[in-house]
This record gives sequence, structure tokens and C-alpha cells, in this order.
Amino acid sequence: MSVADVPANTESPATPEAPRSDRALMREEREIARKYLGRVPWEMVAWGLGNFVLWVSLFPLVIHGVMPLWLGFVIATVCCTLAYLPSHEAQHSIIATEGSKLRWLNELVGHVSLIPLVFPYRIAWITHRQHHAHANDPELDPDYPVHADTWYRSVWNSFRTRQGGNEAYAACLRRSSDPTVGRAAAEGAVLNLFYYAVLTGMAWSGHALEAAFLWWLPRHIGFSYILVFLSWAPHFPFTGTDRYTDTRAWKSPIGTVLSLGMEYHVVHHLFPKIPLLQTGPAYWELRDLLEKRGLRIDGL
Amino acid sequence: MNPLMILDKLKDWGPVFFGVAFLAPLIAQSLEAGGASAPLGATPLQFGLVAGVALGLVAKLRGRWV
Repeated sequence: MSVADVPANTESPATPEAPRSDRALMREEREIARKYLGRVPWEMVAWGLGNFVLWVSLFPLVIHGVMPLWLGFVIATVCCTLAYLPSHEAQHSIIATEGSKLRWLNELVGHVSLIPLVFPYRIAWITHRQHHAHANDPELDPDYPVHADTWYRSVWNSFRTRQGGNEAYAACLRRSSDPTVGRAAAEGAVLNLFYYAVLTGMAWSGHALEAAFLWWLPRHIGFSYILVFLSWAPHFPFTGTDRYTDTRAWKSPIGTVLSLGMEYHVVHHLFPKIPLLQTGPAYWELRDLLEKRGLRIDGL
Repeated sequence: MNPLMILDKLKDWGPVFFGVAFLAPLIAQSLEAGGASAPLGATPLQFGLVAGVALGLVAKLRGRWV
């Protein structure tokens, strides 16, 4: 008899906990998830816009000698590493849904916070939606190229993927029927042109080292870090492709904060509208249910 | 041909453009900052241009930088 065949038993306290039906489990999951939905994550708005302003301010501070280049490099690398997640909230319309009063803020955070990574918001959103729909599918998941047996091989894969245009992302955009795909490509071209124009302008006006250590290198380091913790670690070993097996819960050896909160990434895949900082509390409330579902839990 | 198609064509030569536009001055200014001199009596910028173009061409031919 499968779990789905057993009716939910709520009447006999003497009986050990009876298996609940798939539908009952889903209902319980949703009831828990609902508690964490609906709040505007203002901390992510502040994080996204503040991180961008801090990163921009490094350029005059370093160029005018107020801050040493090594310190600017360290801060710029942290800024680039932190640049993705606020936009990720915007990609899922967690800050404000379409048609709501604060929608402009959602889009502002989405676009602005990704500038240090030179990652166009609309392309990020179109490809990320495909990642959710096809997580771990070698053909259809645009993040699949980072799969690897170890994190350092994943870093290497992600670095190679970024050279000369990301083919998995390009293929994803070609497949996409999203009506904004043309606009996304145009915005991507403008952002990339802007990036190379700034690097070139700074380099030929005597600030090549500042350009390299405040943008070029931090962007690559930040991207690699983000991909390890957002794409590689939560989806390892990249075998499951359904709702409860395409993502795992895992205990990070460097802690939740340095792992960008991705130990609980499974909650995001199950309920994408839950804000990042709520995924931890939601996980602990959902944990027993998820264990019953056969979710892979590695030490968490 | 629309601007995006032109950009797409130019992208093939992206590594060489990058070598000239960014790596050349970066190499030159790195030499100067490190107090090193360019080989064969070249100026730092001449050396940077040669190295930048060479690296860019290799990347274009291989299809990747590393």
C-alpha cells in the first residue's frame, strides 16, 4: 500500500502517527508556507540598493586615494558576492507583485542590484524561471553546466561557462517564449557595452588597476562564489528532477551567513515567494514533513 | 542589419578587443606599479599592447581564455 492510498487519520490518538495522503501533506506544507508569505522584505531592498551605492562609492574613494586599492578590492568582492540575492527576490516579485503600488521598487532593486555582476535583470529572470521549471535537467536547466563532483570543479566549470557568452543561457533564451526576451537581449547588450566602455575608459585614463580590482576581478570571484552556493551546493548531486528531489537541505561547513542562506534553498524551490530571510524559519517548521517526502537532508 | 546583429558579429573578435582595450593598459600599468621594466627596451604600453593582442588572439582561436 502506498502512502497515497492511506487516508489521513485524525481520530485515534492511540495509534502511532498514521501516514498522511499526498494531498494532506501538501495542504500542511502550504499552511506552514502561508505564514511566511506576504511581507515586503524591506531588508532586501536596503541590501540591494545599499550594496550598489557602497560598491559605486569605492571608485571615487580609491581613485582619489582615500581608500587603499587592496581594501577597495576586498569590499568590492564582498559587494559583488552580495549583489545577486536582492535581485533574486525581485525576480520572484517578492518585493512587489505585478500591478501593485510598489512594483517600481521591485524592478528598481532587480535591475540595480545586479549591475556589479553585469547580469541583466530580465535575462536573469527568464533563465531563472527555466531553472525552477527544469532543475537538474541536463538539457533544459540553464544552471546545469555548473554541476560537478566537487565545489572546486564547479567553480572551474562556471568560469569556463562565462567565457565567450554562456551557451546554456543563450539556448534558454532562444527556447523562451517570454514576450520580453527581445527587450532582455537588448538590455543585456547595453549593460555589457556599458561595462566594457567603463573598463576601457578607466584603463586608458590611467586607472586600469582600479578597474581590474574594483570590478573585473570582484565580478568573477563574486559570480563563482554565488554559483557554488546557489547552484552547486543546494542541487548536488544533480540527479533528482522532481519537486522533492531536485534540491537538498544541507549543513554548510562555513555556516548559514557565509553560504548566503542557501542551506535552506529547498524551501525556495518549494515555495519561491517566501523571502530569503524567512526560508530558515520556514525550513525548521517544514522539516518533518519534508523528511516524510523523502527530501535529501544532509546534516541539517 | 540591426545593431544587435552587428554586436553579435563584433563579439567574435571580443577577446582581441578586450586584449587591446583593457588588458594592454592593465599589463602596462601593472608593470609600472611593480617597478618592472618591459623586455627588449619596449615601453610598458608597447609591451602591454603586444601581450594583450597576443592573449586576445589565442583566446579567440581557442574559443576561451583558459
